[in-house]
Amino acid sequence: MKLLALIKKEFHRFFHDPRLIITMLLPGVVIFALYTFIGEISYADEEREYRVYLSGDSAVVAVIEQVILESGDKVEWLPLEDEEAARREIEEEEATAILTFSENFDLLGEDARVGIVYDGSSEEGLTFYSVASSILIGVGMRFPIEEEAIGDISEMGTDYLSSILPMLIVSFVFSAAMSVTLESVAGEKERGTLATILVTSAKRRDIALGKIVPLSCISMLGALSSFIGVALSMPKLMGVSLGTFGGYSVWSYLLVAVSILGTVPLIVSLIAAVSTLSRSVKEASGYVSVVMILTMVISLITAFLPAMGDWVVAVPVLNAVVAMQSVLSGGLAVWQTLVGTGINLLFTVLLVFVMTRLFSSERVMFGK
Amino acid sequence: MEEIVRAEGLRKTFTLSKKQQRIEQTGETRRIAVDGLSFSAYRGEIYGLLGPNGAGKTTTLRMLATLIRPDGGDAFLAGHSIVKEPDKVRDIIGFMTSELKLEGFFTPDYLFDFFGAMHGVGQDVLAVRKRELFSRFGIDRYAEVPVKNLSTGMLQKVSLVISIVHDPEVIIFDEPTNGLDVLTAKVVTDFLAELKGMGKSILLSTHIFSLVEKLCDRVGVIIDGKLAEEGTLEEVAKGDLETSFFELYHRIKGDAV
Repeated sequence: MKLLALIKKEFHRFFHDPRLIITMLLPGVVIFALYTFIGEISYADEEREYRVYLSGDSAVVAVIEQVILESGDKVEWLPLEDEEAARREIEEEEATAILTFSENFDLLGEDARVGIVYDGSSEEGLTFYSVASSILIGVGMRFPIEEEAIGDISEMGTDYLSSILPMLIVSFVFSAAMSVTLESVAGEKERGTLATILVTSAKRRDIALGKIVPLSCISMLGALSSFIGVALSMPKLMGVSLGTFGGYSVWSYLLVAVSILGTVPLIVSLIAAVSTLSRSVKEASGYVSVVMILTMVISLITAFLPAMGDWVVAVPVLNAVVAMQSVLSGGLAVWQTLVGTGINLLFTVLLVFVMTRLFSSERVMFGK
Repeated sequence: MEEIVRAEGLRKTFTLSKKQQRIEQTGETRRIAVDGLSFSAYRGEIYGLLGPNGAGKTTTLRMLATLIRPDGGDAFLAGHSIVKEPDKVRDIIGFMTSELKLEGFFTPDYLFDFFGAMHGVGQDVLAVRKRELFSRFGIDRYAEVPVKNLSTGMLQKVSLVISIVHDPEVIIFDEPTNGLDVLTAKVVTDFLAELKGMGKSILLSTHIFSLVEKLCDRVGVIIDGKLAEEGTLEEVAKGDLETSFFELYHRIKGDAV
């Protein structure tokens, strides 16, 4: 009953304060406006034209064509007669990609194969690869995709959706959690209202959970707002259609959701613990910013080092980033997701315990 | 007389940080805040802990309120140990200090219900109690006004009423009138007198002689974390509380002031 009252208080505080709601949801609107604006400038009056050599046939080709046309671009399908000549054209940026389907590919038998050779140095090559691979993943992944990037492959040569998106998700969660948790924990401590609750007979554990549970839900909302902002601005910013997001299976979405659900309470409890230790919102904000930058840097590194060992699963937050990358690249990283989520929740429990200890510390709660 | 608070050899030491050592120009790493303090307060009386700043009054009250654990000794409030049963102790006490604040965003009505739930008070009882206390202290007209918009006096009344939302047996006030203007201070002293009239047991700490003379039945004088003297107001004051206190202080500390 006491825990419920604490949770309700946090929700009441948030949902009855328009200032807090705006602060939480504004980043999503700003991201959408900003990214769309950048996209408008980058691709103003620019209509991309893809020249793709095609070998074999599949219904997937029509879907790819439809997505490209919906994005306002054009595609020209050319029959593949001389692969060497086609590759040379790609290197010289005269063609975009080569798409090869095995015989009777649409039956999706055991011998179904698909190959994509694309220009890793051009926007057209990367975007075509991104669209095509996402649609192919959506078909079911019972066949291997043989992919090859040629040309001067930039750092963004890998599928940027799968490598960058997890990092973006973690950063959205972090900033959303920061904006509410710092105010709710460090702010309440600074104003002396947290001590008033400590004098009641509510258990320290309930007081800690009474913060972490509602703040995690609110942070999810904030992160969702930012995510929607990115998703909606994606067609303008990267030339990638929203349909790209629809290319994943239900299982993939579920695994990503599990990773996020395991990460949010961990990040919230980490910020809450740091806030409890700090004397003011300003001090807490300083410490948490350092933690956020560290997390972002580590997440960013994983985007370019896809082949990390299994040890990553034991590293909080990072395990979720890597698991999401794996899922969004088309793999079903079930054990990584579940074990990583379990480890993140374990760390959350540990941080709740740390918070309960901090609540009982005179030096922390009443130290000058 | 029934004992409601019994402190037995309470002891608390703090580690001094390098910064504190530098400020106080001392080489000692630990500071004894409360040094084997024992005293008793009885049901229905106002007991005052009188002492200069830094004597250990606030630390003692925080230990009694279970906000911090003693390093040694124990205390019993209505029979419950502050060391072994801190949750039970928190259920039977109301604790007020200037360091405890109410969140300005919420209304007195919401906060009364919230803190009632925090103490496990049933909704029916809570509704009756809210009606009675809000009407008695003139809060009912401001029940839906956010706390941040209340006058200082009204805010103090709301804080006081919320501290007794669960009808505690023992009420602990740390420096109840410290930093308050005369009008708000009067609100507090009237409130304390009213609580005493309701048969509540009150323990307060102060360095203000007039407050002790006006309200307290019994007094414990704390100097350097130790109980220097204890008795009824008449026994301790011996005619004039201020004079008696300084005589006692000089006997213990010499000429150091």
